[in-house]
Amino acid sequence: MNSPRAEHAPSQGNIVRDCPGTKDHICCGYKTIDLIEGCALSCSYCILKAYLNTPAITIHDDIPYITSQIDGMTGREARHILRFGTGELSDSLALDRRYRLNRPLVEFFGERKNALLELKSKWAYIDHLIPHLNPYTIISFSVAPQRIIDEEEKRTSPLYKRLKTARKAQDAGCFVGLHFDPIIIYPGFEKDYRYLIEDISRILDMDRIIWLSLGLLRFPPKLLGHYIEHNRKNLLYGEFIRGEDGKMRYIKQQRIKVYTMLYKMLKKKNKGLFIYFCMEREDVWRKVTGMTVRDDDALMTLFDERIKHLYGGKI
Amino acid sequence: MEMKTIPLNDIDLNDRRFCISYPLEDEALTESIREIGIVQPVLLCDASPLIVITGFRRLASAKKLGLENIPAMIRKVRADEALLLSIHDNLGRGLNTVEKAYALEKMIGAGFSRQTIFGVMALLSLKPHEKVLGSFVAIANEGRPLKDFIIRRGASMKSIEYLLKLDAKERRGIISLLSPLHITDSLLREILEMLILIKIRTGAVYLRGLRGASDGRELKARLKKKSYPILSSMEKKFLAMKQRCALPPHIDIKVDPFFEKEYIDILLKIKSENDVRAAIEKLKAILEDGYIRSILELTQG
Repeated sequence: MNSPRAEHAPSQGNIVRDCPGTKDHICCGYKTIDLIEGCALSCSYCILKAYLNTPAITIHDDIPYITSQIDGMTGREARHILRFGTGELSDSLALDRRYRLNRPLVEFFGERKNALLELKSKWAYIDHLIPHLNPYTIISFSVAPQRIIDEEEKRTSPLYKRLKTARKAQDAGCFVGLHFDPIIIYPGFEKDYRYLIEDISRILDMDRIIWLSLGLLRFPPKLLGHYIEHNRKNLLYGEFIRGEDGKMRYIKQQRIKVYTMLYKMLKKKNKGLFIYFCMEREDVWRKVTGMTVRDDDALMTLFDERIKHLYGGKI
Repeated sequence: MEMKTIPLNDIDLNDRRFCISYPLEDEALTESIREIGIVQPVLLCDASPLIVITGFRRLASAKKLGLENIPAMIRKVRADEALLLSIHDNLGRGLNTVEKAYALEKMIGAGFSRQTIFGVMALLSLKPHEKVLGSFVAIANEGRPLKDFIIRRGASMKSIEYLLKLDAKERRGIISLLSPLHITDSLLREILEMLILIKIRTGAVYLRGLRGASDGRELKARLKKKSYPILSSMEKKFLAMKQRCALPPHIDIKVDPFFEKEYIDILLKIKSENDVRAAIEKLKAILEDGYIRSILELTQG
């Protein structure tokens, strides 16, 4: 992959930190590792367009500095199994073939066996990592109907490649994660998502999907002007309101309807699938799943149970 | 530089290469010149015929008043220097949006470097950025109806950017629709944003259903119905339920404006114990009739 100019940043401050989450919504207690800031892919809806004001890529590659921060965090956490990811301010895999930053982290998590590393991506290439993969790394892909990938996720891998690569990771002994995020409402999206779920169930071993997130499109208000300026028809088709956290979201009635449809379709494919919502309200959780997830801690507990169920005593 | 009295006929009044003033007609200035004449001499470029650098408005007024001579100073300058003189001479009075657009568009035409243009943008209190510059160039190249609308309304850049996203025909339609209405810029911005959203979604600007709106609020309400159909229908349902509740003036039920929060607010204005009793009775009645449940269902999706 051709990438923009990259700068190596000095090791200072917190490179490993809590995912910022969002006010008045349930968050999953994710920990982010800002290995790379900036992205070589070009998704039209990307919030990095609002948060990062430079197209340049910044790389934090002082691995001992980073792993000491990870150790610090896992050491301080007494109750939950921590999940770390490098896909918050960048794509976890898009630049890895060139910079090879994931391998030492994959090995580190494999040695520690006390937390999970999630490599979240829209770039379907893991061949260089396969010899080093271990069960403590989760290979995850954001998935969307191919129409959305074609129109809104430029420079990313097509859906079938993402799913094939996820399967390759499963065959290499890893669990995989899937992220339906952002889910975009556009004319005919229901049918496209049905096909997407069909593809997933055909290609992947559904029992080895460790988690699957659902997150309808949401964005800071300043991105609305950006979408309008660039005539993003798909992104602007639905009805957006300003949520309690100040972010633009689809109206709650629509969110519940769409989540319910997807939740049912997915559960029909595999009843045991662990499905969670990224940054959703407690009442939306309750309405869609029938579960009461009161706060972030309750969701982290659900993750703990899921991980213990799959790993047994090996974590 | 010496001040001279120059015959108006020696000046090419149609040469507006350094003109950034908009509009040129200024009734107050014309009246002032009629009363006491031109106080500040105009600046002319030494050429034959003479080219105006500064003083376009004064000259337009002088022509209108039929003056034959005007006070002027003549300088021998290059075209780029003359343009900068024109811009800097006008900076003190505060340029309107169209004048800023003219200044920047002419600087590009004169071949100034981006660094110099961005320097002038900073002086004009504009963000020195290529995208902002692009918007101003677009304004400069627009027709009179849009320019006049911008000036008359004191339209913000956001509103102008929305207007620029429309084609000329759509813009004409919207300007003629909005011109008779008294609306604030924030309302204008909201109206234009909804129009653009509809255009992006459907490929066409929705004007037919907007004609005859008596004011900006009505226009906004009609647009909201079209651009936010779910929210509008929920609002309608909520208002209908409230109406059926027949609440007295001292009781009110409020919901989150976007139906996001799952709780509702019941507001009571109480002056006496009897008011409390009456409010409890009324609430009990609407509770038993199922209205509270219906409203909660609406807010809980």
